[in-house]
Amino acid sequence: MKQIRRNMVVALALAATCMGWTAAASAQAAKEPLKFGLAMPLTGSQALFGADQAKAAQWAVQDINAKGGVDGHPLEMILLDTQADPRLGINAVNRLVSVDKVPVFGTAWSAVVKAVAPIANRSQVLGLSVGANSPEIAKLGDYIYTTYPLADVDVVAQARHARETLKKERAAVLYIHNDSGVEGAKIYREAFESLGGKVVAYEAYDAQSTDYTGALLKVRTSNPDIIHVQGLVSDLPQVIAQLRQLGLKQPISTYSAGYNPKVVQQLGAAAEGLLVSALAPSAEQNAEIAEFVERWKKTEGRIPNGLPYTQYLYDMPYLIADLYSHLLKAGKPLTGVNMRQALVDVGTFELPMTGKLVVGADHRVKKPVYLFEVKNGKFEPVATVD
Amino acid sequence: MEYVASLLVLIGLYVILASSFNLIIGFGGLISIAHPIFFALGAYTVGVLSTQFGLHPVPSIAAGFVVAMLASFMLSLPSLRISGDYLLITSIGFQLGLLEIIKNLDFVGGASGLGGIPNVVQQHRSLVFAAVALGLAVAVVLSLRALVRGPYGRAIQAMRDDELAFLALGRNAMNIKIAIFAVGSGLAGVAGGLYAYYYQYLTPDQFQILQSAMILTMVVVGGMGSVYGPVVGAVLLLLLPEAITFLNLPSSVMGPLQGVIFTSLVILFLFLRPQGLVPSSKRLSAGGSHE
Amino acid sequence: MLDFQTLLQIFWTGLANSTYAVLLAAAFALVLKVVKVWNFAQAGLMGIAYYTMYLAIQKLGWPGYAALALGAGAAIVAALAMEVFGLQTFRRRHSPPLTFFIFTLVISEFVQYVLAMVAGTEPVSLAATIMSASYIVGGVVVSEWDLKAIAATVVLMALLFVVMKRTRHGQYMIAAADNPHLSRLYGVNVRRVYALTFVLAAVLIAAAMYLFGTRASMVPNTPLEMMLFAVIAALLGGMGNVFGAAVAAVFLGLLRAFSILVIPSAWQSLILYALLFITILFFPQGVRIAPRVRKKPAAGPASAGA
Repeated sequence: MKQIRRNMVVALALAATCMGWTAAASAQAAKEPLKFGLAMPLTGSQALFGADQAKAAQWAVQDINAKGGVDGHPLEMILLDTQADPRLGINAVNRLVSVDKVPVFGTAWSAVVKAVAPIANRSQVLGLSVGANSPEIAKLGDYIYTTYPLADVDVVAQARHARETLKKERAAVLYIHNDSGVEGAKIYREAFESLGGKVVAYEAYDAQSTDYTGALLKVRTSNPDIIHVQGLVSDLPQVIAQLRQLGLKQPISTYSAGYNPKVVQQLGAAAEGLLVSALAPSAEQNAEIAEFVERWKKTEGRIPNGLPYTQYLYDMPYLIADLYSHLLKAGKPLTGVNMRQALVDVGTFELPMTGKLVVGADHRVKKPVYLFEVKNGKFEPVATVD
Repeated sequence: MEYVASLLVLIGLYVILASSFNLIIGFGGLISIAHPIFFALGAYTVGVLSTQFGLHPVPSIAAGFVVAMLASFMLSLPSLRISGDYLLITSIGFQLGLLEIIKNLDFVGGASGLGGIPNVVQQHRSLVFAAVALGLAVAVVLSLRALVRGPYGRAIQAMRDDELAFLALGRNAMNIKIAIFAVGSGLAGVAGGLYAYYYQYLTPDQFQILQSAMILTMVVVGGMGSVYGPVVGAVLLLLLPEAITFLNLPSSVMGPLQGVIFTSLVILFLFLRPQGLVPSSKRLSAGGSHE
Repeated sequence: MLDFQTLLQIFWTGLANSTYAVLLAAAFALVLKVVKVWNFAQAGLMGIAYYTMYLAIQKLGWPGYAALALGAGAAIVAALAMEVFGLQTFRRRHSPPLTFFIFTLVISEFVQYVLAMVAGTEPVSLAATIMSASYIVGGVVVSEWDLKAIAATVVLMALLFVVMKRTRHGQYMIAAADNPHLSRLYGVNVRRVYALTFVLAAVLIAAAMYLFGTRASMVPNTPLEMMLFAVIAALLGGMGNVFGAAVAAVFLGLLRAFSILVIPSAWQSLILYALLFITILFFPQGVRIAPRVRKKPAAGPASAGA
């Protein structure tokens, strides 16, 4: 009996695999589709961002194909789940590279990017990091390029703004104790101090705790003029709420994780004066973005989580389309090696949501940083730092 | 195909992990969930030795084995002397505490992880790793089988089934427990070393309690207390999620739906075969007729 | 930094923040004590209660107490379903204890995925705003939430105490916890006792999630992460001791809060785990002096209250 049951399981698994493969094979278009991969967290704690970003990329693919694709070839995106876990990311990229044989893929979340870098380099497939911001990404090898500015762009901009524009002397830094928090906090401290300021408190808080009193009291006693919080969208509101409740009235700055209307909504009046940075212009500054946001509201009934990130993800298929187009025109085979070469050769891209993108030889991109301040419950632009 | 080879590497690694965990928990009756920390210690040892000192893979992995084994003494000696029941508690503290320490130490990369582990196989990389992983897995399973069927194995079972009688016969349970724990943990360390060389990047988050749960599920679903049970469990619980991703589900619910399908299947297995997919040939489950 | 006011502040917010942890630890310890199961399905119950209340409050506009009742109801139904269809089946088949553990864990993961599918993965909060009115009492910031949370927890734990020690059903629970076989012989309906245990646990869980949700926000993943704290508290409190677990939860919460004074914040979690490790070595009977619950049936005659 158990033999039969066990066979059933094996048969089920095999059937599922076959179904998947035939489904993929039967998706034929008139001209051969141009494939690329996308590995995003679709489940897990980061899925609130990952799923929205994947959706933005899908919309871009639909829009591109509606306009005729790339020289008549439809663009095809193969989407896999990483849960922002390096091991699953490696699995996903392995699949994309050896089963789906894509010459280029996109992914995000610094730990995943770092984990899949060796695969991209070994198999000579172009890996695009879209949204991860660890500065180490620039040094992960020949085949890893970021299309999103790394942390040392927007965090530094915040530090400079605090020092040079707001003339703050004493900064306190609060950060979540994970890789993005640790790295971001370090960058802020270095930037602030290199500009002559003094970091009077530098406290970490645990990812799992909801009571930050101890760290916040240390910040309070250190008497800063400005407090920079390097947290995630899930803990940021709590940290700010407790800061205000403990009587700290100093201005609070954070990076793009704070650029989320949910944060303002949950904090109510306590959000006033919050300074956030974003690496993409807002809907008020760019009409296309307003359209994008409207589209979200119509189809999903809300605005996307992490709007700037979704903008970059929307632009990614356009960038890939440009690369494909370049190779098709030159008549070159569509391999990873040539994809990378195309990226280097083309270098400058005009993308619908985020504007001009220049891919540097140092594997970095430079973008202006848009600073916003919460006034009357809304994000008002205050400065743009180049 | 590279993809198949990478799956085989994972299968090999997890067979080693599940089997060694089964040795500790299924045969030895030592309820500890700290297995992933020994996996981590082996991986980080290899990571540090290869990045800082450029040591050759074989001595590095051997060092991983030794480090994991020595660490197991740090856990087993104090805990087992008190009582076997409290091993569970101390193992939680041990695993999470060591991971916190790793997260705070810069020379192992801290929370950002340890990357840049050199690639030690240039040609046919995945195939070589798959062969080594599977080879080691086979070796481990066969050695465990020999151990269990031999006189030492009978001693272990006797100790687990009725420790009082065992002690009354003058056997030293403590030494056997510590030895089992050390061997099981050392093997996890070896798997860790291999893991480090294959993936070339480690983060502390990969070795958390979730990993303990996954390995434990493999052992339980496969059949605790049988030699081949963990093998079946490892293969099944690794291939099943992969197979599900080939189902081409609508992408708006793809992620969670895959999880729903996978967990439903595991629950189904637990209902169909609560003793595990591979029955233990003798009465090896601890405690017999509990509720 | 070590002035009295600061210490008092840390004490107060630490205490207030440990309230939901107390309820969760008590729920976990209760099930562990009576049903003898490491109920990791509690994470699933937490998620179900939370999202049900979210639905009631944010989508249906119900007031707090009605939502709380609905959440408790949903958790009760889920818990009973699991007990009747799941755990009883395994009991009948004499499955090894670890099977129960893995079953409850996988149930939680299943619930987590279903919730992600149905409710999405955005962080959601139960309150419209997480800021609550606060007062300054003797230099210490006291918020309304703090007061409500502490009051609610004290009341609930007192009720639990009364139920367990003074009612007949409570005594059946303790009897079944000590010796289910003997209790059956004395006419105690052990299955009903188990059901009641889950009902009590579900109520505690719903209350805890209500408190948590009015102060913070959550994604489907969060309950599993919160479980660790509850488990550690239950273990430290002594494996058969519900109120010991509650005290341990307060103790751990305060320890974590105060540890910031002596060690850099980055090492805070380490203190917790190191404590776990060291405590058992020096207090093997559990920090509370509680009778050790024997796990294996003794070779000799079964004795109640051994």
